[in-house]
Amino acid sequence: MSRRCLKRSLFLIMCLSLGLTLVPYGVSNAADKPISIGGSLPLTGKFAETAKWIEKGMKFWAEEINAKSGLLGRKVVFKIYDDQSNAGKAVTFAEKAITVDKVDLLFGGYPGTAARAVMPVAEKHKFVYVSMGGHMKSFQQGYTYSFGGPPLMGEWWYEGFYQWLKSLPAYQRPKRAAVYTMNNPIGTSLMDSINRMSEDLGIELVINEKYNLPLPDATPFIVKAKQMNCDLLFSNGFFADGVMTIRAAKALNYNPKAIVQGVGSIIPAWVKELGEDGNYVFSGTVLHYKLAYPGNDKLNAYVKEKYNLPGYPLYFGFGYAWMQTLSQGVEGANSLNQTKIRDWLKSNTVQTIAGPLIFDEKGLPEPVNFCTQVIDGKVELTYPKKVRTTKPVYPKPAWK
Amino acid sequence: MNTVLVVRSLISGIMMGSVYALLGVGFSLTWGVMKVINISHATFGLLGAFIAYTLLHAWSLDPILSLALSAPLLFFLACLIYRFIIVPITKAKEVIVASMIVTFGIAIILENVMLLIWSPDPRLLTTSYTSKVLILGPLYFQYPRLAGFLMSLAGVLVIHFFLKKTYMGKAVRAAWQQPDAAQLYGVNLQRISMITFGLAISSAGAGGVAMAFLYAFEPHTHNLWLIYLFLVVIVGGVGNVLGTALAGLIIGVITGLSFAFLPYQWVNLLTFGLLMVILVFRPQGLFQSEV
Repeated sequence: MSRRCLKRSLFLIMCLSLGLTLVPYGVSNAADKPISIGGSLPLTGKFAETAKWIEKGMKFWAEEINAKSGLLGRKVVFKIYDDQSNAGKAVTFAEKAITVDKVDLLFGGYPGTAARAVMPVAEKHKFVYVSMGGHMKSFQQGYTYSFGGPPLMGEWWYEGFYQWLKSLPAYQRPKRAAVYTMNNPIGTSLMDSINRMSEDLGIELVINEKYNLPLPDATPFIVKAKQMNCDLLFSNGFFADGVMTIRAAKALNYNPKAIVQGVGSIIPAWVKELGEDGNYVFSGTVLHYKLAYPGNDKLNAYVKEKYNLPGYPLYFGFGYAWMQTLSQGVEGANSLNQTKIRDWLKSNTVQTIAGPLIFDEKGLPEPVNFCTQVIDGKVELTYPKKVRTTKPVYPKPAWK
Repeated sequence: MNTVLVVRSLISGIMMGSVYALLGVGFSLTWGVMKVINISHATFGLLGAFIAYTLLHAWSLDPILSLALSAPLLFFLACLIYRFIIVPITKAKEVIVASMIVTFGIAIILENVMLLIWSPDPRLLTTSYTSKVLILGPLYFQYPRLAGFLMSLAGVLVIHFFLKKTYMGKAVRAAWQQPDAAQLYGVNLQRISMITFGLAISSAGAGGVAMAFLYAFEPHTHNLWLIYLFLVVIVGGVGNVLGTALAGLIIGVITGLSFAFLPYQWVNLLTFGLLMVILVFRPQGLFQSEV
């Protein structure tokens, strides 16, 4: 071997050695880079209180996963913008997270108006978006990257209640219903299960009226329902109008067999502010801290220790559950490739604190809703029996 | 005709309207007398409601009695705001526009202070008589509405007599009808204005308590209340205390009758449609200004 050839061989060996030495560093640097998860929440404005619980739930998930080996072996970090309870800003921040911040994953999404607005953005950029969705219509737009994992579906809200009614002997069921519904997408979505299932059970909708918010007075509702001998009252409204309806029912001593309240009765203020008058009101939920699915105990223990609460707030659970779904998609696909994550989620079962979820082509699981009733100041699960925390009180006791 | 429904809806509506009136009289006064459109008026009403709520829970103090504490407090706060914020803007060329901008800022600040202190959770003013009803034959009077109605009656009459019968009230009117002449007669314009503003804000506190008897409230609720304020003041005539009270009653009657005869989703449409019609045909309101 000539001297020149030897030099060239030595140089090549050195380059190769240097390359082999540097390559692991390069790999290691990529592996050390955390997975960024971006998006927005309404951390100020009218939805702030609830959104802060979602944020806490998400961050608890991140704490938990980072304490283990991370996601795909990498730590996770959130890039959370405050959309100030403005759906338009939620869209802007979703675009920014994807195109400017170049996040690896998109988180979602509250409230329904913001989620509904961000869903087309996620679709445009082919980013998996797991959120509550914006009721059924938002999942009927042909989006393939959006998942309700679990969703908050007005259309399913009373499924549990009606299933429970169906389990009663026919003679015990109410016969005549008065339905008062706020005239907005949430209110009208609640009508879906009422229309569908009342007919099935032979319950006549004697009064079926919509009202525009703000509701100035609920007295006429109750006068009319009482006059028409309605033994079932649906108050499909928010907290303020729900409370007004309940107070008018008590003042006018109206005692139907059951009072069902849509959205207002599931927030902690219902029992805190109404006290005993808030008892015995039925509603529905897709998530509850007393569900026996794996993970709920852990969340309850965490909020007990950190916030001194008996169980996790609903939206803390949502924040956590959405991240559970997204992370299982990532782990299942073993990739951050959004299409692979989507395809995995569409073809596998996801285990969440709300139970196992199997998504259809719209990104929705099977209709899931549990019947709840406020009993002794607590929102209890009353149906189906496998999740029941206490027996429902029916018919509703007369006002004290 | 469903007489029971009509009568009960009407009673309930009238009582509701009277509460709007109580919240609105001070707003009307500052607008009509001082040419200050106080966007933060309802926010001060809400502050009164939160103070009543806190005193009720801390000391079991009845919300109406709590006014003995909150009214002077709000009066004092209003005087400070008048002295340091309102006085400079009364020198502006467009007092109305400037006042709207500045008081909007005050409303935002107050809202955020309330959010910090009381959080965004919705609240209810629940007393021992919240669910009680006075039954007179076929007529039902819900105590909270009755309390609101009586508070409104008292509040409106007090302000009306203050303006019409007291020296201070006459000075208020004189100061803003003929400021130069009033000053020649020794009326201290700034002092009179400060008292007017303080009185208006104190009445807002009372109105806020009356509103809280009827409705749930949280720190953003003032935005909704402000709509009712404009409604009663525009219908009643700016600066007309009795007109504001009558406007509240008219709105209550319309709401009550709408509930009795129309589909419920038309009620707000009709009420606010009325506001638009009045603005078109009688922009000065149904009644003449008293000041």
